[in-house]
Amino acid sequence: MRDSLVLQNVCKSFGDKIAVNHISAQIPAGSIYGFLGPNGAGKTTTIRMIMNILMPDSGGISVLGQPPGRVRDQLGYLPEEKGLYKKMKAAELIAYFGQLKGMDRTRARTRAAELLDQFGLEHAADQRCDLLSKGMGQKVQIISTLIHDPDLVILDEPFSGLDPINVETVRAVILDLKRNGKTVIFSTHVMEQAEQICDAILLIHRGEKILDGTIGEIKRSAHHTISLEYDGTPIDLRRIPGVIRVNDMGKAAELSLAGDADRQAIIKTLVAGMTVTAFTVKAPSLHEIFVRHVGESPE
Amino acid sequence: MKRALLVASREFIENVRTKGFWLGIMMLPIMLIMIAVIPIIVESTREPKTFTVIDESGWLLDASLERIALNGPQDRFSYVPADGRDPEALNEAIIRGELFAYFMLGRDPVNDDEGFRYISNNLTNRELSAWFGRHVSAEVRLRRLARENLTEEVANWVTRPIEFEGVQISTDGDEEEVSAQDVVRQWTPVAFVYLLWISILINTQMLLTNTIEEKSNKLIEVLLSSISPVQLMAGKILGIAATGLAIISTWALMALLFFVGLPEFFNIDLPVNLGDILTEPVYIGSFLVYFVLGYLFYAALLVGLGSICNNLKEAQNLMLPVQLVQMIPIFVMVPVGQDPNGVLAKILSFIPPLTPFVMMNRAAGPPSFTEYAITTALLIASIALALWFAAKIFRIGILMSGKPPKLREVLRWLVPARVKLS
Repeated sequence: MRDSLVLQNVCKSFGDKIAVNHISAQIPAGSIYGFLGPNGAGKTTTIRMIMNILMPDSGGISVLGQPPGRVRDQLGYLPEEKGLYKKMKAAELIAYFGQLKGMDRTRARTRAAELLDQFGLEHAADQRCDLLSKGMGQKVQIISTLIHDPDLVILDEPFSGLDPINVETVRAVILDLKRNGKTVIFSTHVMEQAEQICDAILLIHRGEKILDGTIGEIKRSAHHTISLEYDGTPIDLRRIPGVIRVNDMGKAAELSLAGDADRQAIIKTLVAGMTVTAFTVKAPSLHEIFVRHVGESPE
Repeated sequence: MKRALLVASREFIENVRTKGFWLGIMMLPIMLIMIAVIPIIVESTREPKTFTVIDESGWLLDASLERIALNGPQDRFSYVPADGRDPEALNEAIIRGELFAYFMLGRDPVNDDEGFRYISNNLTNRELSAWFGRHVSAEVRLRRLARENLTEEVANWVTRPIEFEGVQISTDGDEEEVSAQDVVRQWTPVAFVYLLWISILINTQMLLTNTIEEKSNKLIEVLLSSISPVQLMAGKILGIAATGLAIISTWALMALLFFVGLPEFFNIDLPVNLGDILTEPVYIGSFLVYFVLGYLFYAALLVGLGSICNNLKEAQNLMLPVQLVQMIPIFVMVPVGQDPNGVLAKILSFIPPLTPFVMMNRAAGPPSFTEYAITTALLIASIALALWFAAKIFRIGILMSGKPPKLREVLRWLVPARVKLS
């Protein structure tokens, strides 16, 4: 599969602060790719470099097989800080952004109307943007990002600040884009969201790459956890060989296992020592993987 | 370029289609008209000033009143007889506000000046004493002339001052008389400097506000993902320039209507033909050229400045030096207008931030072609430099948040990145 985006040893610093430190990644075309990391990890800086808003200090970036800046019209970008021109009407604003991406006026207007229709906002077309509800405003922003039918869509924290209904809308949009063969990159600090929707991820912390790959690969290579439910007093779970961390909730517990742990032996020890009512062995969540790599929670 | 124009047309349309914008434009001409009309209205509705006279001579008051009646009395002043009241009673009347003032005429005006007094609580407004005094003097003068056996004609002839006739030399060496038209023409550039100054100030201020707003409405990143910072900056500068031209055209149209259309319609003959002066190519041409150049220069400064500020307050602090420079043309407007080709005018013309205003001010001179060529070349070079700086600052500043950077930091953006040696 052709790569939509290739990052090679990309570095960027602001004064003494290193924002992005030798990041490399390959994002295959037609995939949904997550940039994960806590706030301030360097996600937005990386995205800005891909969008040619910032220049990398060193390293190479290739977007859709071209240097960034050459393919601006084929990219759609929704920044984390989202705004609208308050005095413009919704349809006008969307068409304006279409024209800025090189669409001609008539085409931009028809397409704006179609998309508003598709998002159930046909009644808002002639409303001024400052009169739109928050959810409607967010939809208008997303439509503005997609009006020119971009091949690569980059969404910076698209879920932040959305209510559950709008989270669903955005999720549906992302999946729809993938169905149409587009590549979607989005950044988030909420690992659960990424886990549910991404094909592959890049995990960044303090400007450095922690790991990248498909969700499947990452989980297979990661350490497993045992979730168990129990009655009565548990044995000292921390003492069991191969268990590196315990999250005991009183009636249930989660044990993180070392990579070389003997899962069978651990299960036997548990069953022998306490009243286990249920247990599952599973690959860790992305959240768990992040915590293990970084030693702190991403939020 | 196409996308810069797209940005420009959006700016323009957004500005022009609000009602507030047109109200704002109308404010200036309406204010100017009010300043001209209100004093006339106030004057016409004012109560007449009441005065009386204590006449010691016995004849001067009657003679003066007769003269006033002959020469057309004034509505502004109303005479009431003193009715034998003494000064004390009249003073009280002044304190009570019944009287504005009273005059005392001396016992023997033909032979001495003693005993003439003007009593009022308002000595700053001397209209009344000047007007009544003129008539009293005329009567006294007549009698003094008669005593010396002189007629009024002889006296007038003896005392008539010599008047110099104003003549200027036209370019082909002919002498021509100075008419009111010429005087107005000489001072018209000053009006144009005012207009130029206000137009540039308003427009660049608009650009500054607009840039800061753009930063705060969080659309910058989306815009920069579609167009380059230079395109965005150019679009903004162009859009606001178009808005400015709309404002000026509206004013020009209103001025033409007021000074040319109205007199024509009511068939009033003005002593000078303002329409002719206002539409003189050297004025209109200078104005348009210097508006565009002056605007571009200050636009470059302010768009750069606006891009590093997060709100108007921050911008205002940084604006101060620019505003001080912008004040200079107003301070030197009169001296430059009086001597359009003097040393001061010439020196100031070569300072690019002042060139548009000072050269406009000198348009009645007019300056030599060489001066036009050199100052304009200097100005255009400065504009290019300012725009280049602005683009560099805009590119970085527009994405910044937090405290505005120090001057040293900004200067560092202007020089190419240095290799760190460590």
